[in-house]
Amino acid sequence: MVPALLAESGVVSAHHPLGASTGYMSDLRGDWPAMVAEALATSPFAAELAALSESELPGLEAYLAAGPELPFGYLTVHAPVKHLRMPEAELVRRLSRLAPLVDGIVVHPDAMDDPRAYRALGSALVLENMDARKTTGRTVAELAPYFAVLPEAGFCLDVAHVLSIDATMETGERLLDAFAGRLRHLHVSSVDGRCRHVPLTVEHETRFAELLRRCPDVPWILEAPLP
Amino acid sequence: MATANTIDPAGALERLGAELPNLLAARARTAEAVAARRAALADLPLDPRASVVLFGSWGRRELTRRSDDDWALLVDGAARDGVEPEPEVLAAALGDGSRGPGRSGVFGGRIFGDDLLSRIGLDADSNTNLTRRMLLMLESQPVAGDDVHRRCWEQVLDGYLEDADRPYRPPRFFLNDLIRYWRTICVDFVGKEREGSEKWGIRNAKLRTSRKVLFAAGLVPLLQTHRLDREERRAYLAAQLAAPATDRLAAAFLDCGVRDAGVRALGAYDRWLAVLDDPDRRGELESLTKETAHESAVFRDVRRHATELHRGLLVLLFDTELLPHVREHGIF
Repeated sequence: MVPALLAESGVVSAHHPLGASTGYMSDLRGDWPAMVAEALATSPFAAELAALSESELPGLEAYLAAGPELPFGYLTVHAPVKHLRMPEAELVRRLSRLAPLVDGIVVHPDAMDDPRAYRALGSALVLENMDARKTTGRTVAELAPYFAVLPEAGFCLDVAHVLSIDATMETGERLLDAFAGRLRHLHVSSVDGRCRHVPLTVEHETRFAELLRRCPDVPWILEAPLP
Repeated sequence: MATANTIDPAGALERLGAELPNLLAARARTAEAVAARRAALADLPLDPRASVVLFGSWGRRELTRRSDDDWALLVDGAARDGVEPEPEVLAAALGDGSRGPGRSGVFGGRIFGDDLLSRIGLDADSNTNLTRRMLLMLESQPVAGDDVHRRCWEQVLDGYLEDADRPYRPPRFFLNDLIRYWRTICVDFVGKEREGSEKWGIRNAKLRTSRKVLFAAGLVPLLQTHRLDREERRAYLAAQLAAPATDRLAAAFLDCGVRDAGVRALGAYDRWLAVLDDPDRRGELESLTKETAHESAVFRDVRRHATELHRGLLVLLFDTELLPHVREHGIF
């Protein structure tokens, strides 16, 4: 008997360049050298330094300002998306200071009050597609207005976010059709029923396979450790 | 093998379906400028065994508003005196001395076909000779004496293929000379850097982009000859290398089934051309030294574009049917 959907395991672990996001390293939170060391254990080629909560941003700023010698060929910062308190103009100003130190700054569209303010980040800005909990930034129609006012921005495709809104992954195909030329990197993991990033399952890796095959040239950043 | 004929470079850039406004504008600009140069040279006495040839961005069909006029009088046969026109007469006819050939002496004078053909390898194959031969094969555009240009071009190609007896194998002599040329450019970049940091920013940016495209667009068609019998190889390479470098690469991305990566790679290259065509940004690149480049937002943008191009080219070479041929022939 031939199964309808052959399992595809190992596609992600075999990818180059692969990298880790520090966002999943909750036990090391705040200790940037330790998180970078753990990211390095995944890959010296790519990494994402995630200050997902605003309170993590000062520590990241201090860490990068010290000029650590990092080997990553592709290094991004994930801008805060939780517990945002500072005025948006100040956040953009602080992110702009980080931009010369890294290859991209990932921002969630739904965290933007005034998208135009983020023009200051230029081509360092990278917009990510959103998950099912959000009301915007999930589909081509919802992301297109952001790219219209931010023409230099790149695109980060979060495959788990696609899965959370469309089990067929067709939405991901449409996102790549529309924004393939902007694609800078992927976020890769599975998600649970509450849209939390969890280690990749074989079932989800198989479901992602077609989409992943369209992105062999960009870094894949793990938002949960590989199982 | 019929599959070889599916890699048709004609119109491949358009077939890729990417947004490439700067590349397409540069092609239109090149076509206009070539026509203008042809008209300017129409009444100039030209030796029947000579051709006026433009190199670099002219050959890649990527002319920007500040591209150099790297020209040469290509003469079929051995070195001799009395070939018309004299270089200074030709320079005057081509106009705009401010954009003329650089001081290296590679261009701006006569090139004799026999030197390119008979001095492959060994001491007599100087950096200048190697550069002239490679640029003739990979990115040259005649504006007078087209038949002579074609004859010299074919003589060099035939010289490369002379010993390539094995069917379904890339021609190793040509491949080695091409790889040697690319590595020479890279080593010479550092050599120049150590002599002084003048124009480091623009030279580094070009090495990461235009020079890399030149090399890759030669390497890929040579590797693709693994599909061909010996008799098919010459016509295939002639058709491929006559097309602009970006058409060759676009065709390869499509043929190898990695269109999305091609869209990103050539999209990034398109954005690089926009920088080159912008006087302010190009001027900034020209002013940067190795020490100041990291402070420049323009340089960071170019580096980003170059990385995207680089990754796409790696996919073409290492994630497609070309991988076994890179492995077999690309290193040793």
